[in-house]
Amino acid sequence: MSDAGMVHPITVTINGERYARTVQARKLLVHFIRDELALKGTHIGCDTGNCGACSIIVNGKLIKSCMMLAVQADGATIETIEGLEAEGELTPVQRAFHEHHGLQCGYCTPGMVMSATYLLRGNPDPSEEEIRRAIRGNICRCTGYVNIVRSVKAAAGAGEPAAADRAEASR
Amino acid sequence: MLLASVDYTRPATVPEALEALASREGAAPLAGGQSLVNVLKNRVASVELLVDISRLEELRSIEASEGSLEIGACVTYDEIDRSPEIRAGHEIVSRVASHIEDQQIRNRGTIGGNCCLSDPTNNLPPLLIALGATMNIQSGSGLRQVAADEFFRGYFLTAVEPGEILRSISIPALGEGAGAGYSTLSVASDSKAIVRAAALVRGNGTIDEARVALAVVGPVPIRHSGMEEALRGGAATADAAREAAEAIGEDLEPIADAHGSTEYRRQMARVVARRAVDEAIARGGENG
Ligand SMILES: Cc1cc2nc3c(=O)[nH]c(=O)nc-3n(C[C@H](O)[C@H](O)[C@H](O)COP(=O)(O)OP(=O)(O)OC[C@H]3O[C@@H](n4cnc5c(N)ncnc54)[C@H](O)[C@@H]3O)c2cc1C
Ligand code: FES
Ligand code: FES
Repeated sequence: MSDAGMVHPITVTINGERYARTVQARKLLVHFIRDELALKGTHIGCDTGNCGACSIIVNGKLIKSCMMLAVQADGATIETIEGLEAEGELTPVQRAFHEHHGLQCGYCTPGMVMSATYLLRGNPDPSEEEIRRAIRGNICRCTGYVNIVRSVKAAAGAGEPAAADRAEASR
Repeated sequence: MLLASVDYTRPATVPEALEALASREGAAPLAGGQSLVNVLKNRVASVELLVDISRLEELRSIEASEGSLEIGACVTYDEIDRSPEIRAGHEIVSRVASHIEDQQIRNRGTIGGNCCLSDPTNNLPPLLIALGATMNIQSGSGLRQVAADEFFRGYFLTAVEPGEILRSISIPALGEGAGAGYSTLSVASDSKAIVRAAALVRGNGTIDEARVALAVVGPVPIRHSGMEEALRGGAATADAAREAAEAIGEDLEPIADAHGSTEYRRQMARVVARRAVDEAIARGGENG
């Protein structure tokens, strides 16, 4: 069918860089980011919206990029895991995951870090319950979550906003 | 996953959206996509044209006047959770929305999509029935209103006809002495609901009006008139709620599946219905 070949022009700004491309309507945002822009930090775990490995921030909102079409992101400002560190400096969340062993295999980590970053922007001093609620959409098969929660707490305690300078779009 | 081939359009206005929907068989509205994108992955329905309504400002407003609410179909769960207007007069709507799955889904999923999907396990339909909501459906020829009781027609089937969209949902003011309650049974906090109930109770000491909606007992949420009648005219107490829940009997023939047998669901329906009514009574008391 000709529809599969029908393409739509889109423009997105990802981690500060502007990309203009054409996409098929059926292209998932996660595939666009990984395969067309070669930003492989955003992972695919389940492809059904359940695991959260593909979590990114679109127009200031945390979303699962396997549950959105690339064409739906036309005009959007997007942040992925690659955009967090600036000039080799990890963000407080990334540093805390490193220091508190918030990861083992690392597969869930990009999504976890994006969820934690999103949480701390809206709530700089979350309780343990709020942290657990914030990462509910992110599945980790290794850590048992304890060290992840500890990492997020430590990042909050670090007293620095989580890459707040990059949070141009407010919630 | 490679989705089935599909076309896409993002109209700028509601009339343009309706035109696009009418232009072609197999055209479907795309709201938050939190169900529809998976449908496209699984190729379980043949959608040929996605009409993206998610950015239409006309569908994205929340209006409150004299205690009643009108929520646009494309307002997200997260926006409902955080809305001061909704929290003020209908705290339960915010709370139920805030319990849907996770932050990512709440940032995309919409109240209109939650209803139009008509998945029997979805959170909002029984609540809207208990609250006496009205569904405002728009077609090219005008707007029509359908009571929430009448909106859900079957598994993945609603009163919205091809070429129409759900435009907004009106929720009446709770009113003096009225309270609402909601209760779900599930194996774990993040697993599918086994049975749910939502209730609205009005009255001061004595119950004048009661609405009890049960969900996940069949293809669509239903009101249980037997329990409603048993409550009406009785005392607004936990004992009366327990007694009234016994009215849920053999008349209720819930679906049986891996999550529960018919008899288990019937018994648990009594439990969640009682809890929802208890909560409604307690909240009504605060609202007297
Ligand atoms: C991992 C996961 C977990 C979930 N858990 C829950 C849960 O616990 N509880 C729950 O209730 N839901 C849950 N959902 C479903 C989610 O809430 C969906 O967002 C919701 O069912 C549909 O809303 P949407 O805006 O994303 O709609 P879409 O996916 O865009 O659309 C759903 C259907 O409704 C139609 N539609 C949408 N809007 C309109 C409109 N205004 N007029 C006419 N037709 C319309 C579409 O054509 C489509 O058929 C979950 C989804 C996922 C992926
Ligand atoms: S890959 Fe998107 S949620 Fe699992
Ligand atoms: S660290 Fe392995 S899945 Fe989380």
